[in-house]
Amino acid sequence: MSEEQDNSHEHKPIDLSKNESSTEPPVNPGFSAPPPFQQPPPFGQFQGGFGMGQQNLPNATAALVLGIIALPACCFYGIFGIVFGIIAWILGAGDVKKYHQNPGLYSESSYKNAKAGKICGMIATILSVLFIGIIILFVVGALTHPQAYDNFFKGFH
Amino acid sequence: MANHNSLADWLSHHLFACPVKAYFGFDCPGCGFQRSVISLFKGNIAESFRFYPATMPILFLAVFAIIHLSMDVKTGASIIKIAYAGIAIIILINYIYKISTHQLIS
Repeated sequence: MSEEQDNSHEHKPIDLSKNESSTEPPVNPGFSAPPPFQQPPPFGQFQGGFGMGQQNLPNATAALVLGIIALPACCFYGIFGIVFGIIAWILGAGDVKKYHQNPGLYSESSYKNAKAGKICGMIATILSVLFIGIIILFVVGALTHPQAYDNFFKGFH
Repeated sequence: MANHNSLADWLSHHLFACPVKAYFGFDCPGCGFQRSVISLFKGNIAESFRFYPATMPILFLAVFAIIHLSMDVKTGASIIKIAYAGIAIIILINYIYKISTHQLIS
């Protein structure tokens, strides 16, 4: 929900620049030009040498934390793992896309965090899907072939 | 020291039951983690590894993630990625090993 709002907010400056470059009058006259930066940079945040307006991507930390939590959450039937993993994946992918649209605006470290969160989410999702598949396989196997199930898990005695 | 031991004992009597094991009767890929952490508290690293090999990497990842998020380590994100993939592989190998040696139902 908030991501969509952010994205729509992001698109506005790009669309405006296209309109200006093609030297056409704006279609809707009521549309006023937004300021190029959303927020003034906070004090004391001068990292790197390029650009004072660098801010962190909004969901980078959340994606990383959710991606890490998703790994132990795989064990609860895989359901929580798949939920956290997919959320981390979506948040991370959205932030990576946002960074590529406007690389100067966001800080490099938060971009790396978002990418790591995306990859962690992918791994957790794959693990959870594998585990859910294994549960289904085992339960179906136990119901249809109890003898073979016993032999497989308890070994031949 | 006595306090330390009693804490570990108290923990070992208050473990969370694995829901998968309770309902389906076989171990999940995370089973053994709590026993392993308690062994680590007692200082028994070999036993901790035998219960669950991925415990120490997971604890390292958790501590490192907190450090990285608060202090912004330069190569922190790639270290987290590599550690995460390694842990996933360890968990998979451990689970396959448990299946193949018939340890899943105990």
